[in-house]
Amino acid sequence: MGAALAPPAREQVARLDRVWKERTGLLGWLTTTDHKRIGLMYFFTTLAFFAAGGTEALLMRTQLIGPNQKLLTPEAYDELFTMHGITMIFLVVIPMTTGAFGNYLIPLMIGARDMAFPRMNAVSFWIFLGSGIFLYVALATGQAPNAGWFDYVPLASKQYDPGLNIDFYGYGLIFNGISSTAAAINIVVTIFKLRAPGMSLNRMPLFCFAFLAAAFSLIFALPSLTLACLFLELDRQLGFHFYDVAFGGDPLLWQNLFWIFGHPEVYIIILPAFGIATSIIPTFVHRRMVLFPLVALAELLVAFLGFGVWVHHMFAVGLATEVTIYFAAASMIIVIPSAIQIFSWITTILTGTPEFKTPLLWIIGFIVFFIAGGLSGITLAAIPFDQQVNASYYVVAHFHFVIFGGAVFPILGGMYYWFPKVTGRMYHERVGQLSFWLSFVGTWVTFFPMHIVGIDGMPRRIYTYVASTGWGALNALESIGAYVLAAGLLLVIVNLAVSLFKGERVGADPWEGDTLEWSTSSPPPPYNYAVIPTVTSAYPMWDERDRRRDRARLEGGQGVLARGHETPASTVQDAHLDEVLGMPPYSMWPLVVGLVLFVGFVMLLLAHYLIAAGVGGMLAAALLAWHARQPEQAPLDPAGGSPPALTQEAAP
Amino acid sequence: MRRRAGPGRRRLRSVALPALLLCAAGLGGCGGGQSIVAPRSHQTSLIALLWWWMLGASVVVFAGAVVLLAIAWFRRRTPGLPLFGRREEVAGGMVIGFGIVIPLVVLVALFAASDLYVIRFSEAPAASSTSLTVDVIGHQWWWEVRYPGTEAVTANEVHIPVDTRVNVVATTADVIHSLWVPRLARKIDMIPGRENRILFDTPDAGTYVGQCSEFCGLQHAHMRMTVVAEAPSAFHAWLTNMARPARAPATAEQREGELLFMGRGCAGCHQLRGTEARGKIGPDLTHLATRKTLAALTIPNTPAELSAWIRDPQAIKPGNHMPDLGLSGAEVAKIASFLEALH
Amino acid sequence: MSGALPRGAATGEPPPAAGQGLSLQPPRSALARSGEAAARMAAERKAQPSGIWGMALFLCAETMLFVGVIGSYFYLDFRVKQWPPAGVKLPETLDPSVLTAVLVLTSVPMALAARRARAGRPRATFGLIALAAFVQCGYLAFQLHQFVAEAHTLHPQASAYASAYFTLLGLHHAHVLLGILFDLGLLFWLRTGLSDYRITGVRAVALYWHVINVIAVAVLITEISPSL
Repeated sequence: MGAALAPPAREQVARLDRVWKERTGLLGWLTTTDHKRIGLMYFFTTLAFFAAGGTEALLMRTQLIGPNQKLLTPEAYDELFTMHGITMIFLVVIPMTTGAFGNYLIPLMIGARDMAFPRMNAVSFWIFLGSGIFLYVALATGQAPNAGWFDYVPLASKQYDPGLNIDFYGYGLIFNGISSTAAAINIVVTIFKLRAPGMSLNRMPLFCFAFLAAAFSLIFALPSLTLACLFLELDRQLGFHFYDVAFGGDPLLWQNLFWIFGHPEVYIIILPAFGIATSIIPTFVHRRMVLFPLVALAELLVAFLGFGVWVHHMFAVGLATEVTIYFAAASMIIVIPSAIQIFSWITTILTGTPEFKTPLLWIIGFIVFFIAGGLSGITLAAIPFDQQVNASYYVVAHFHFVIFGGAVFPILGGMYYWFPKVTGRMYHERVGQLSFWLSFVGTWVTFFPMHIVGIDGMPRRIYTYVASTGWGALNALESIGAYVLAAGLLLVIVNLAVSLFKGERVGADPWEGDTLEWSTSSPPPPYNYAVIPTVTSAYPMWDERDRRRDRARLEGGQGVLARGHETPASTVQDAHLDEVLGMPPYSMWPLVVGLVLFVGFVMLLLAHYLIAAGVGGMLAAALLAWHARQPEQAPLDPAGGSPPALTQEAAP
Repeated sequence: MRRRAGPGRRRLRSVALPALLLCAAGLGGCGGGQSIVAPRSHQTSLIALLWWWMLGASVVVFAGAVVLLAIAWFRRRTPGLPLFGRREEVAGGMVIGFGIVIPLVVLVALFAASDLYVIRFSEAPAASSTSLTVDVIGHQWWWEVRYPGTEAVTANEVHIPVDTRVNVVATTADVIHSLWVPRLARKIDMIPGRENRILFDTPDAGTYVGQCSEFCGLQHAHMRMTVVAEAPSAFHAWLTNMARPARAPATAEQREGELLFMGRGCAGCHQLRGTEARGKIGPDLTHLATRKTLAALTIPNTPAELSAWIRDPQAIKPGNHMPDLGLSGAEVAKIASFLEALH
Repeated sequence: MSGALPRGAATGEPPPAAGQGLSLQPPRSALARSGEAAARMAAERKAQPSGIWGMALFLCAETMLFVGVIGSYFYLDFRVKQWPPAGVKLPETLDPSVLTAVLVLTSVPMALAARRARAGRPRATFGLIALAAFVQCGYLAFQLHQFVAEAHTLHPQASAYASAYFTLLGLHHAHVLLGILFDLGLLFWLRTGLSDYRITGVRAVALYWHVINVIAVAVLITEISPSL
């Protein structure tokens, strides 16, 4: 908080420092429940998977640089494109947004000291890490999933893919889904319950609306994938017949279950990116978001409507026209909430006084790509056209524009934007701008020509093509673009890595941002806020009266909540202060549960069902131990008795 | 003092120029082949027209958005809108107008044009409206072609008469494939347990290339086919020939080749109608010599290529289901000369 | 009026009136170390505790799982002409219905247990949960016996119908087992009395059972649908 404090306040803050002291060393990280540390662990892990997925992409693009290349065998190519899709979706974008950005920033933005369930937060990370290792062991042993990230049956059935490849997929995605579901539940409850007093739902940052929508979608969509994979493994391992036509099953059951998850999944991917964009724009254009409430509503609507459009992935399957028409109409309607957001962003930038610093550049790039990708998406809702280009490179172009340009660009912008907050240093602005331009040009050159080769008849998932197709020139261009893009991304990492050590030091609020995280130091102390903030506007940092009130309370030693590991909980809608929660400090049980689950899934993979059942028993025991030490047993400073008022926190 | 072009203008240039160049390169290289914008049927012409309209509208919208962003850059020191100044209602109005009203109008028009009108031509044809049926059965990684009502069976090559509504029945013998001949028709998936149908109907004689477009395993990339549209008389001649059993070998070398074919395992997978070769696993080879390509358009059908294929199929199409039979060079030559006589 | 207010200007909303916001005495759950204190604490709270929200959201996911498996059952049903396939006995209606009714009735002791817990009465809570758990165990034992017996006559590997039938039931039994494990966990803690945390636990597990019991009815209807 900067200014010198009077003795009572200083004592409070000293107590906070003591109570929230971070455990050092490896053990500290392995047993942490602090949302910031967990967010950082997610961040670095997803960066590693991003490098893996990117390498897979570069290998494929090198193979396709000309006709009839022999760099990769068909087996290798099939494993690479499958792992590329699985990695980027399940091990990069989702964990980076919900796990890294969500975990680190949501409590800070709502004025809380941690997530609602800190230990479940930790276990989400360990399970995510475990599922990533599980899947990459497959690649390392040459039996990676190889039937595409959507893994259609019967190709993925035991008959046509007898090895462990698809079992890694089925069990791996169920395993990964546990992490995402737990993370999503945590996000919803945190946003509902832990907001600072006065931060009613309509005063919550748009970032939180976006993450809330994404989290709800995850909770409702993932079970469909889990079920699809369960049926797949029952068919493969126990000879069941869900997908087997000869016995009354249907391969389209897989497609329906998969896409009922798969379509909401893409909104889950993009919504946090919208949230990052709506955080960066007001800060750099120095004005509020145009039609803020409509944008919030649009974010929720996109998530909701996203559940009603999945059949548009199946327009070529031979369904009745009436069925396809309904889903095409729904797919067109969902354009509206996206268009509302796009034009709100554009008019906000237009009517503000934008400073085109690196974070804003990434968001402008995002807007450009998202519009282009959205337009190609609209064309795909024209059923006859989709029936031409479905499963061709046109679709590959579309989804890379919306996922890479639409989700990854805001992530990179967000990395630059919050870098000063997380590290207390500023990145190099010029190099940042260069990294943006390289990536922007690289993305265009890689993915734009794919529209053309798709129109030209090039199907997706082919490891090579013959020269007579004439696809060579554009494919070569795409491959060059990929190298340029890789250079841009590498430059981002180098910039941030070097700035971590050499960057100019900054204070709490280098950007004059509007949300609460800019009111605490850079990096934030373990307890985030010495005094729990109160909020009376949707742009709390631009409303100075709140921050002066906060400072006054700190100086009076009020609202510090230093009796233990504490954070306040409020009512859901109006954020009236309701109770003070005791948060668990360190715990080894999340790591133990993660390990036990990993072993359990490996046993299932190897079909050692009895051992897997035994591991289930160990899991139950670990969960019991996890809950053994309850908040009532946490050490507190004063003796028991009735709870004292928050306004009066004298030492015993 | 010349000002360097700022991010806005540079952004425009960086997008516009490559886009133009790529369009030129792409379109220049793509007339024909497998392009969806080189249509040869009513259905695909409508779809291509739909595409050009959608592209035009998209370019307008995209350019509009880029212009707005460029204006934002040029006017970055002045808050508020150009002309309207800092009137919040106008900004809000822009969001409602461009975000709700205009999209709604455009989408309704697009929906009507594509999903209510054009779709009528790309749907499965009413069976009574077609005068010829062709069965195409997908296999890993080749196409089986049958003409119900006749004995004709072939592989990887479909012939149809021009100006005839042909009912194409698409099924699969193993995994999901997708039949896609872009210049003639939209694609249709081949799904176990389903009989999907599309329409082939072209006025233009010619050879059209198709390619499997649903990932079906190791050699999905090499599962291509040709559709030959020809005058009805030529078609009937072809079909009549296809229905005939295999020609008897004429020379001694061909006779030895036939013996090797039967004795060394080929007959276990391949069928030669009218002989004891009744294998159903690989393509029917009864009239192999009439085909222009082999292995689903992977290699041309010449004696040298055929010999190379028989000697080592895995080198040419790795992972395909034809094993290395361990034949000597001489044996391969004889089998090849036998097969090359099967017109 | 421009939307771009100068930075730092207040929004013009009045500050919270005295008596609102931070001048209240918010309860600290950690200090409630006896049954009565915990009950008072639970009563003072205006919003649902985090644990209830967490359980509710978890139940949303599990409900979607059952929507999926029941949906898949009927999807496969409508795709074929004969369901169950020829030669398969139609499912019984009476036995499963009675068993499901017994399970659904355990919601009563669970609901009562939640009320007793809120009233700060650990022993009554313990007894009611134990009763519910006892009946639920009996139910599960019966069902598992049936399940195994049926699997010997109608093999899950025989048809899509059998696969769907056994998976539907298997998933439900797995959730009943999970609920029983929750019950046992609660009983383990309630040995040493109530606290605010444990009251929330009892309420959360009661909620779990209510939802599982509704799902049980849906599973029952699906299971016996060919005989209806």
